[in-house]
Amino acid sequence: MSNLRFWACGLLLVLTGWLLGRLVSNEYAFFAGYSVLQYILLATAWNILGGYAGYVNFGTAAFFALGAYVSVALNKMYALPLPVLIVAGGVASGLVGLLMGSLTLKLRGVFFSIATLALAIVSQAVITNWEYVGGASGAYVLRPRMGPLGGSYIEYLFYTMLVMAVAAVALARTIERSKVGYGLSAIRDDELAAEASGVPTLKLKLLATVASGTLMGMAGAPLPFYVAYLDPPSAFNLAYAVNTIAMPLVGGTGTWIGPVLGAILLTVVQETAMVTISSAANLLIVGLLMVGFITLAPNGIVGMVRSLREGRK
Amino acid sequence: MTQNIARRTVFATALGGAAATMVRTPLAWGADPITIGCSIPQTGALASNGKAVLLTMQIWAEEVNAKGGILGRPVQLVYYDDQSNPANVPRIYTKLLDVDKVDLIVTNGTNLTVPAMPIAMERGKVVMCMFSLAINEKFRYDRFFQTMPYGPDGKAAISAGFFEVAMGMTPKPLTVALVGADAEFSKNAVAGAREQARKHGLRVVYDRTYPPPTVDFGPIIRGIAATNPDLVYVGSYPLDTTGLIRSARELNFRPKLFGGGMVGTQNASLKGDLGEMLNDVVSYELYCPAAANHFPRVARLLEKYQPLAASNGVDAHGYYSPPFAYCSMEVLEQAVKGVGGLDQDKLAKYIHATKFDTIVGDIKFGADGEWTEPRMLTVQFRGLKGQGMDQFKNPSAEVILHPPQYRTGTVQHPMGPAAR
Repeated sequence: MSNLRFWACGLLLVLTGWLLGRLVSNEYAFFAGYSVLQYILLATAWNILGGYAGYVNFGTAAFFALGAYVSVALNKMYALPLPVLIVAGGVASGLVGLLMGSLTLKLRGVFFSIATLALAIVSQAVITNWEYVGGASGAYVLRPRMGPLGGSYIEYLFYTMLVMAVAAVALARTIERSKVGYGLSAIRDDELAAEASGVPTLKLKLLATVASGTLMGMAGAPLPFYVAYLDPPSAFNLAYAVNTIAMPLVGGTGTWIGPVLGAILLTVVQETAMVTISSAANLLIVGLLMVGFITLAPNGIVGMVRSLREGRK
Repeated sequence: MTQNIARRTVFATALGGAAATMVRTPLAWGADPITIGCSIPQTGALASNGKAVLLTMQIWAEEVNAKGGILGRPVQLVYYDDQSNPANVPRIYTKLLDVDKVDLIVTNGTNLTVPAMPIAMERGKVVMCMFSLAINEKFRYDRFFQTMPYGPDGKAAISAGFFEVAMGMTPKPLTVALVGADAEFSKNAVAGAREQARKHGLRVVYDRTYPPPTVDFGPIIRGIAATNPDLVYVGSYPLDTTGLIRSARELNFRPKLFGGGMVGTQNASLKGDLGEMLNDVVSYELYCPAAANHFPRVARLLEKYQPLAASNGVDAHGYYSPPFAYCSMEVLEQAVKGVGGLDQDKLAKYIHATKFDTIVGDIKFGADGEWTEPRMLTVQFRGLKGQGMDQFKNPSAEVILHPPQYRTGTVQHPMGPAAR
């Protein structure tokens, strides 16, 4: 897809989302849509480090929750508008990404993954004992009824998440097609060879960690307004980490479209399961899809489509 | 999932073959059902309570429908599992209200009710809440009602009985140790206990929390024992409750009074597992066999509940949540009948103005939607031998110490050995 077509599609998607939102009368569509978009954003963010560079991050919940708690803290202090809170959440998570990256990116493979898991555990312990943001008891965030652009506040949250998701996908695509993306791919394929070829591996990995962390933090910032209540077990919920890894794996890692497809597929399947079969089936479905794709289509939906196309040729 | 009560009736669960008969029941109704929606945990950390609550709601709905419904209309429950995750709750309640268009909503638990509040408030819906603590302090919503008997000062109510009982001991206690998990309920319980200690002039010699995943409670009990407190107030969750009691018994730590806000001591399987280790431990209850004379209709509910609980794998005795879940539904039923319709404003005003005759006694709601008078029971476990759940059906296994109108005995202290 050419750049022009991509940007036109992105703009069209935002406009379509906005127009559909104007036509939809019940708020369930916004709540469910928000959830899908949130996961597109998270999965895309994870893919920048996990998919492009091959560094598996188990600490999604830490970055996501940090964004959410920065939002809670700043809202309590100054009652800032949501876009400012989103930027602040992104900056905070990006800085944590930078710090964590500089400490752990010399570790490779499973050691890096364990370090990200440790980050999630340590962050949860810190938040649990940070009384200002509610500590273990959780924090109440009373959202306004109306959004600043008219319509309900949840409608506003939906549009905000829509813009962020499209922007994140655009960023991921830009990275993928830039020197940075080629460098990250080289790291994923063989880090030693990449380094020997002059790829600034540490710098690129740090860049990817910061970008990934920033986007995750931005995804988390509106959460307190969506839920109206935030406590550590829900902010650091395991489902965020599991889903965020599963979605790119199912859609296809290493491409910008893979996480988008995976997020849409898994979120829709889970949402449907929750309101029809049983929500207990949710994570089971995710697990089965992950096992199925890893076994039968290790390159995800994108890889499957490519194989089919190549087969035809 | 949408639950057609008549189709998936609780009695059908028990009787199986009778299901076909039940399926036909709704067809006999000429009127549309009154739909009651809720998000209720059937999986995750809060599933145990959620399942018992749902089973009770189903029993209530079956009984109501068998008696001709409400205002000639059958009752239908519509529920979805929120997986004990607050992030799922907003979606579920918007689906219930905007897509399923339920007439009434019920909520369950503190963390799982708060996310529903803005949605209910925006739509002006009455919120009938079970088992939450001090939610309306923040929202101040005049259509919120809560059936857990904390009364107007929820945080203090959890520990007030423990301290009043303790101060009645001779000689009077002078020191107290406070310990609890770094989690919502236990922190609130310990905060209330801190206030009570100040109020009664007790010196706090130990005041610490522990992280929720703690598994070894030996060092905590040793730390408390080193301060030699007269009283030990514990705010804990089921796994910690077990760990703390076992450690205290293993280390033969026997203060004058031990317990307080221990979640889990209300659950049949946990009680049965701890058995005689619970002897002399003081905790809170909402209902126990010793209170049966005051609430005779609870026994009838439990007669239906207990066989179903066994087959559904939920709390076998049902002393804790089922009576209060049933009472929530009774309040809704009486309010709808009293108002003669489903107008939310009229329902809220009616509930505020009325004293309700329920399975757990008369209830009057205050301006904040909480009970006007607290009615938490403080109990002490006595005469337990070995392990086993059945011994807790004996009224003498749990002696009610507080409040005075329900008292069935006086406190036994200091804490004796586990086995007698």
